Amino acid sequence: MKHNAKDLILSTLLSVFAGLFVSGLLLLFLNKNPLIAYGKLFSFLFRDGYTFAEIFVKATPLIFTALAFAFTFKASLFNIGAQGQFYMGAVTVLAVSQLFGDRVSSLIALPIIFLSSFIAGGLWGAMVGYFKARFKANDFLVSMMSVYIALAFMNYLLRTVLIESKREYPQSDPIAEKLFMPVLVNGTRLHIGFILAVIIAILCWFLLYKTTIGYRVRVVGQNPVAARFAGISAGRVSILAFFISGGLAGLAGFTEVNGVQHMLVQGFNPSIGAEGIGIAILANANPIGIIFGSLLFGALKVGGSILGQTSGIPSSIIELMEGFVMIFVILSYYFRRKIELRRNIHSLMNRKSL
Amino acid sequence: MINILSRAILMSTPLLLGATAEVFAEKAGIMIIAIEGLFLLGAWGGFVGVYLTNSYATGFLLAAALGAIAAMVYGYITIYLKQHQIVTGTALNILIAGLVAFFHRVIFGIPLLPLTIEPLKAIPIPLLHKIPVLGKVLFNQNPLTYIAFLIAPLGFFILFRTSLGLIIRSTGENPEAVDVAGLKVERIRFTVTIVAGVFGAIAGSFYSVVYLGMFTNTIIGGRGWIAFAICFLGNWNPLGAMVGALVFGIAEAVAIYMQSSGQIQLPNELFIALPYILTIILTLTRKNFNVPSKLGIPYLKGN
Repeated sequence: MKHNAKDLILSTLLSVFAGLFVSGLLLLFLNKNPLIAYGKLFSFLFRDGYTFAEIFVKATPLIFTALAFAFTFKASLFNIGAQGQFYMGAVTVLAVSQLFGDRVSSLIALPIIFLSSFIAGGLWGAMVGYFKARFKANDFLVSMMSVYIALAFMNYLLRTVLIESKREYPQSDPIAEKLFMPVLVNGTRLHIGFILAVIIAILCWFLLYKTTIGYRVRVVGQNPVAARFAGISAGRVSILAFFISGGLAGLAGFTEVNGVQHMLVQGFNPSIGAEGIGIAILANANPIGIIFGSLLFGALKVGGSILGQTSGIPSSIIELMEGFVMIFVILSYYFRRKIELRRNIHSLMNRKSL
Repeated sequence: MINILSRAILMSTPLLLGATAEVFAEKAGIMIIAIEGLFLLGAWGGFVGVYLTNSYATGFLLAAALGAIAAMVYGYITIYLKQHQIVTGTALNILIAGLVAFFHRVIFGIPLLPLTIEPLKAIPIPLLHKIPVLGKVLFNQNPLTYIAFLIAPLGFFILFRTSLGLIIRSTGENPEAVDVAGLKVERIRFTVTIVAGVFGAIAGSFYSVVYLGMFTNTIIGGRGWIAFAICFLGNWNPLGAMVGALVFGIAEAVAIYMQSSGQIQLPNELFIALPYILTIILTLTRKNFNVPSKLGIPYLKGN
């Protein structure tokens, strides 16, 4: 067991390096020296406090979308619709925030907004779980489709009822300053949402591994036959898992709107759903691992986009790095399993010879 | 009306090609989750080929070649290394999006004006296109549409009426039997996946080469997933996929008509979301699927 944990960490680190190495090689096509580019990327991250804090700002919504994928993954369900649940959460918190304006104390308003994002994302997610339980619909397919519907819905609201008072662009007015999430470090955008994300990640770990709900989710995932004999209703677990999963993705809407953007623009943050899946895979769906995976992807995003602005390297290098890291992590699953098998055979042989 | 029908056939072309490719792969037990990426790769490859050489053949060939390479990567990881298909496909979709954007920049830099190509024109079929109504709808289309509507019945024939089709179907239903018969399960799956990759990419090239005459990173916007859905809704049958693709083609054509005519005041976004809503509704109403029993499950010898 200890060997396996060591393998997991080592092989994940190796795959991250391999992914970055291959992406670096592609920079040669642009006549850029990969070593210099990565050197710059790394030094950019530490050039000032603001940029360094951005890593945590970018990691915050990724923690939520990665947790969203991981939570259903543990039940062998596939929620690849975190992007849509995030949009539902975002548009709901915006509407609720506009409703509150600056009339209500933030101590009362913020918890309500927090809950509203969880419920909005959760209900949108639970719809997938319900369709799966009631109609045996394919959760993968339905959750994917629900992203595009949520996007169209949000864009429609931003063009009509939620549009800014100037009515010029399809975007909302800023929310009241009272409803901004408190900033952690002055002079940066780092807000309390990051702490919230870490706490929620730990809560997810607790929920999955230390409670009956989590136990049921995992049993349905690992051994559906045993689950049925134990009287666990797979349908109910599916709805519940999708509700929590969608709620987690909805929280990303809360931290992005009230923590970072303070308004809503059509189709914003279009890739955090897919990146969340990548991070969940990277972290082997472990909630604590997800925090570190999100920080890695956050760093790639921050460094990659500054690189794009200053060095003539396109910002698509971010997706390249993410994509290659994911592929190598998947390959590492294969090799780790092989090493594990060989080790087991070895120990069996040794026992026999004694 | 004729215009709407003609456009419906046109818009169903890539969905039909993509769904037929998906049907073949899934019948052999492999879900091609990377289909959205394959569509994007094909759209890009087709555009680049046509733009650089001014030849449609090169465009389709480049799309096909890129599709084959991506399918090989996907097939190798999922079939030989037996890794999770949904996980691998999702990773590949992100990677392809990055690669396409990156190499578009490498080849074209930052152009001041959007780059365009002449879209592939319709070729009327002699005599037949003169039939009233039907001629204009069915026989005045572009070559890719003719090919798609020939490939689907041909695919049905191969899959359900030939021994090759029997082997493919058995690979998805009962791989042990295929193995006992002395055939290599993994090799069959790998081959079918590559062929599906080729057609998936050519399907994607429709959007750049035939329909828009240009390329953007968001050109596919979920159409690959709709092809994936049509495979399910068509009950893993190329002819079923044809019906499904036509339904979506009509929906898309009506949406374009409604948007441009402005007769009925409904929000634009409703039409954009319509295909996705339709997919969910059809998934819920469709009963009795013939899901290949080993779909998505890697083959382990002696298991």
